[in-house]
Amino acid sequence: MEYIVRTENLSKHFGQEKAVSGLEMKIPKGEIYGFLGPNGAGKTTTIRMLLGLMKPTSGRIEIFQNDLKKERLNILKRVGSLVESPSYYPHLTAKENLEAMRKIVGMPKQRINEVLEIVRLTAAGDKKVKGFSLGMKQRLGIAASLLNNPELLILDEPTNGLDPSGIIEIRNLIKSLPSECGMTVLISSHLLSEIDQMATTVGIVTKGKMIFQDSIEAMRMFAQQSVLLKVSESDKAWRALLGRGMKAGLDNGIISLPQQSDENVAEAVRGLVEDGFSVYRVEEEKRSLEDIFLQMTREEQAG
Amino acid sequence: MLTILKSEWFKLRKSNIIGILLAGPLIGLGAGIGADTAEAAGMMNEWYMILIYMNLPYAVLFLPLITGVLASFVCRYEHQAGGWKQLLALPVTRGKVFAAKYVLILLLVLFIQLFYLAAIAGAGLYKGIADPFPAAIVWKSILGGWIAAFPLVALQLWMSVWFKSFAAPFAVNVVFTLPSILAMNSEKVGPYYPWAQPFAMMYPATENGDIFFIPWEQLITVIGGFFLLFYLGGYFYFQRKAV
Repeated sequence: MEYIVRTENLSKHFGQEKAVSGLEMKIPKGEIYGFLGPNGAGKTTTIRMLLGLMKPTSGRIEIFQNDLKKERLNILKRVGSLVESPSYYPHLTAKENLEAMRKIVGMPKQRINEVLEIVRLTAAGDKKVKGFSLGMKQRLGIAASLLNNPELLILDEPTNGLDPSGIIEIRNLIKSLPSECGMTVLISSHLLSEIDQMATTVGIVTKGKMIFQDSIEAMRMFAQQSVLLKVSESDKAWRALLGRGMKAGLDNGIISLPQQSDENVAEAVRGLVEDGFSVYRVEEEKRSLEDIFLQMTREEQAG
Repeated sequence: MLTILKSEWFKLRKSNIIGILLAGPLIGLGAGIGADTAEAAGMMNEWYMILIYMNLPYAVLFLPLITGVLASFVCRYEHQAGGWKQLLALPVTRGKVFAAKYVLILLLVLFIQLFYLAAIAGAGLYKGIADPFPAAIVWKSILGGWIAAFPLVALQLWMSVWFKSFAAPFAVNVVFTLPSILAMNSEKVGPYYPWAQPFAMMYPATENGDIFFIPWEQLITVIGGFFLLFYLGGYFYFQRKAV
């Protein structure tokens, strides 16, 4: 497979603290790669290293199949990025901000209006950025990252500070980029739901380590929710369910039905009622990202 | 390199730099107008007299201090809201960004020197000096002061890249500039003290056969040496700086 980004044993230590350790990131061409992890997991540190803003303690980075150390300039010509909070020059207008960058990346002037249009910031183009809301700054940052029409777009928490309609807009924009512009996108987030709605490939990082990297479908298998039942005489009820040949777990008096279809859940409830148990509550287990992390790390240790 | 410089110039042009550029020459102008040059009338060219009066506040204090203000200024908007990381994630090398900022400050210092030249002429005209304008010597002074600022600019750029705050580089600058008042009166220290060089190079001495008002050896070893030291220090710091 052709990888646009590939890291080998990438590590970054700050003194004793290992911000990133032994990271093997593989981003295939044309994918939207969701880089997922809680705050402080090492996402931004990794992205900074990918852009050469920070030097790795050890390991290797290949982008477009070229070594970042040797070919940094040629690689960055084909990369657009938005790192952490949006970067801007407060004393300049939105257009002037883009113009300062355009002089360096050398695109035609028309491109400034195009990218402003893409992020719907045309109306505010001549206003000073210091008066912008966080959402507008974020849009400007995304516009800036698109300025050189990159082949690889790296967006660190791009929907930060956007309102719900803005999030949807940006999400649709990002989703359209691979097919319309042939871009490969790396997008980081600490929100599973956000990655779930955009990404085609997912890498999950925690405490600087990649604990999962695969297609979004593979991750959904992990993330599947189970249904919890609170019933009278839970121990007996659980045995009854097992007796009916259903998969069920018992934890603290709560019966859980992992990965069940609607019909199966209905059947289980019906069975319990028929057997004379009182069903107090049927609820879906809300599994946070943390829970999935915990599950994944547990499985990693077990394996 | 040229594209980076153009971008830097663009960012600077849109900020309120002009007041800072004019402050020094105006201080000089004030000193020149207030100077009592009458006593020298007939004994020496009155232009020298006025130049000496004007140089005192300008070359001893203002010129060294302004290098720091300018360096902070061209780095301030990078520090403010993540400008460094956006700039350095573009296809640029850090060496060229550092060089572009350095050249930009040198250009600004040159502008200030030229404004100062205008201030000299202005003060002289105001006083109605009849003596012939010593053009060659004044030029030596203007260009000499500019060259003497090279190492100071390099050190201040280093400090400004390093510290996010305006105050820290300025404090460093003041701490080194104030002793130059003492240093320039000392024959031992004066010629070697970088912050005393602007005054030395702007002070219109009698003809000494050199192009500038200090000996070549001093120009090359002290100004050139400290320039290399400070520039390379800042350059290597910037190369390794994590943004």
